[in-house]
Amino acid sequence: MTTKALGDFKDSAAFSLGVELELQLVSKRDFDLTRGATDLLGSLDYDERFGEIKLEITESMIEISTQPQSTVDGIAADLGGLRDTLRQHCERNNIGVCGGGTHPFHHWPERRICPGDRFNDLYQRYGYLAKQFTVFGQHVHVGCTSADEAIWLTQALGVYVPAFIALSASSPFVDGVDSFYQSARLNAVSAFPLSGQCPPLGSWQEFTEHFAFLQACGIAQGIKDLYWDVRPKPEFGTVEIRVCDTPLTIEQATSLAALAQSLARWLLRTRPPLHTAKQAHVARYNKFQACRYGLEAMISDPVNLCQTPLKQTLADLLEAVSDDARELDCAHWLTPLKQAVAENMGDAAWLRAREKQHGNMNDVVREASERLMGKNN
Amino acid sequence: MIETITSPLRAVWESLLERLFFLPPFPETIDSLALFSLLLVVGLLLGEWLHAHARWPKVTGYVLAGIVFGPSALSWISIEALAQARPIADAALGLLMMEVGRRLDLSWLRRNPELLRSTLADITLSFALIFIFALWLVGLTPAWAAATAAVTMASAPAVVLLTIEEAKAQGQVTERIILHTAISSAASFVAFAIVLGIVHAELSEDWLNALVHPLWVVVGALLVGGMGTWLALRIAKTLPKGSLAQVFVLIACALLAVGIARMLAVPVFLTLFLMGVLLASRDQQQTLRYTALPEGHWLLAIVLFVIVGASLPWQEFTWLAGLQALGLLLVRAAAKAGAMAWSGGSLPLPKRLLVGMGIQPLSATAVFMAYEIASLYPEVGRSALTLPLFAAAMMELVGPALCRLALHRSGECESGERNRGGIA
Repeated sequence: MTTKALGDFKDSAAFSLGVELELQLVSKRDFDLTRGATDLLGSLDYDERFGEIKLEITESMIEISTQPQSTVDGIAADLGGLRDTLRQHCERNNIGVCGGGTHPFHHWPERRICPGDRFNDLYQRYGYLAKQFTVFGQHVHVGCTSADEAIWLTQALGVYVPAFIALSASSPFVDGVDSFYQSARLNAVSAFPLSGQCPPLGSWQEFTEHFAFLQACGIAQGIKDLYWDVRPKPEFGTVEIRVCDTPLTIEQATSLAALAQSLARWLLRTRPPLHTAKQAHVARYNKFQACRYGLEAMISDPVNLCQTPLKQTLADLLEAVSDDARELDCAHWLTPLKQAVAENMGDAAWLRAREKQHGNMNDVVREASERLMGKNN
Repeated sequence: MIETITSPLRAVWESLLERLFFLPPFPETIDSLALFSLLLVVGLLLGEWLHAHARWPKVTGYVLAGIVFGPSALSWISIEALAQARPIADAALGLLMMEVGRRLDLSWLRRNPELLRSTLADITLSFALIFIFALWLVGLTPAWAAATAAVTMASAPAVVLLTIEEAKAQGQVTERIILHTAISSAASFVAFAIVLGIVHAELSEDWLNALVHPLWVVVGALLVGGMGTWLALRIAKTLPKGSLAQVFVLIACALLAVGIARMLAVPVFLTLFLMGVLLASRDQQQTLRYTALPEGHWLLAIVLFVIVGASLPWQEFTWLAGLQALGLLLVRAAAKAGAMAWSGGSLPLPKRLLVGMGIQPLSATAVFMAYEIASLYPEVGRSALTLPLFAAAMMELVGPALCRLALHRSGECESGERNRGGIA
């Protein structure tokens, strides 16, 4: 097994942002997933002015990632540019693009692993899980000025994993049926042995020791093997929140980035006590609650020994980070999130409503695809 | 040959008839259902055997079964039996043509000018080069050279569709093969209708037939196809989307269109192709958009290709005719590859050439078109259309393999991965 050194933490500008979105490539005929990522990228003539468009593990996925930006508006502009570039190119190839954490009815054995050593290694290592990993997430990177700050923020953000899951949940359907979950995507991720929470680590020193331990045990080769919910990304100088489903619109994706930025600033400004050891006991339960019930989840509080409705803690949280959002000039991006919490209406509910209206999944994906393209928001 | 088997049986039967009065007379012809079943079984066995042992496309096996058991070789399938099985072949071809029509996405051409360029190049070059070849090198008259070009210019929708389904192929090469096949089929049908008039004009100097027959074919097919579409959408709208009932409605309306087209002597392939195109373009509410044909259509497809194989005139084969057909296929291949190479575009040249290879098949539609034209003036038509029939006969055997090779080389089918032990 070849291991990859962790490398130094590359400091970056405080609260700078980057967003990655994994998107679905669908057939325009029946809106099932289709294979086409390699051909699509092979013929793409694009100067990367808005960021990158990359392959993901299977041929039915494509990843867009913005340039590092200091403002949420910058992220919105990049995502819009990437979306439009992809739309133009996909239209030439008769392929549709769609958001959402899962494709509602695709048949996973039909997926094809993308060419490339890394994807082939993953396929050889994880077998069918690699194909079932055809799920679609949003990752938000928040820049940190030091390695220790990044580790502290990684721990602090862990408490808010259920909030990000509930606000982004857009994967109620799997294999053509209603899973009863708001975010069923994370069930595909949790099958991987290195998924879950970052252990309670107090500093960059402790993190590097822990990582060296994992390497010595032969568990992890590089940082990419850690499928943690929130993890430091040394080469970018960021902390990466990885639990969000890809929303149905780039506006919602931008709002989630705004929450990540405001929350990071609020946490680093107020430095609340972390109780990481106690939180570790309830983290999986709280994550399940958010995946299963979304905004209706009941979140366990291991410090006050009680359960709190997530909707309530989210409303409080969005209020608490308002000042920081204003300072960062992204308060207007939090308004849709406040509205979603107040109305209990997220992407999963939108998908269910479409399914109820049409009575079939093909039309759900067709409308979701139009929604990503801004046609029927 | 079949007589040698049945004659002793007939003698015993007739001797029994005198004593067992409940017995019917010895059956002179095979029952249609029994014939269907026999065609199915022989096609299936040979197709599956060749696929399992030599990795040949199943379609080739079905055609071979038709050739071996048909009038050209063992004669177990007689000419009468072929005529008897024709409705089944029409139904099978009709359903496949409707499926190809439904997949004709003209909006893609609007969004991608390079595709418009390559489809126009394919249609024009294929027709022109085949026409010139038939006229100058083979020495056919202009009318029969045009008929030959009209019949052979397009790819074979049924073969392409079934090969793609068999290979479970998906991707840009696959999608473009389907698009080029559908558009070239549409163009060949237009050419076919015009050629009908030209043939009338040349052979009978009857201008009424020369004008009205093409109109009858085109307008008739459009009206019957339109009626089938209207009916299917109207009934399907009252049923749950994607339900089995909708599948049955779609098939029933398609078969109704097949039946009416047969009654009116309007070509079934054209009628059902137009019905497919109309279904795709008129279905604003997506009523039948996602309703796929059931797996069972393979049953009909097997019988179709056995019948096509049996219909091929191998007994009339001469080396000269074979060489001429080979020449036509080479010219046609060059036209299609040249059109793909010349048209340029975002798909790399090797992949465009694979599209060119994938659209080489020539099959049932060509054979049926040729017989349709030949039947107008049987005394000259059959011999004049020997060239496209032999070209189709040769391509029946090679075309599916070429199409599958193109899909395989493009990396768009699942078989490669399965062979490597992956989970396909």
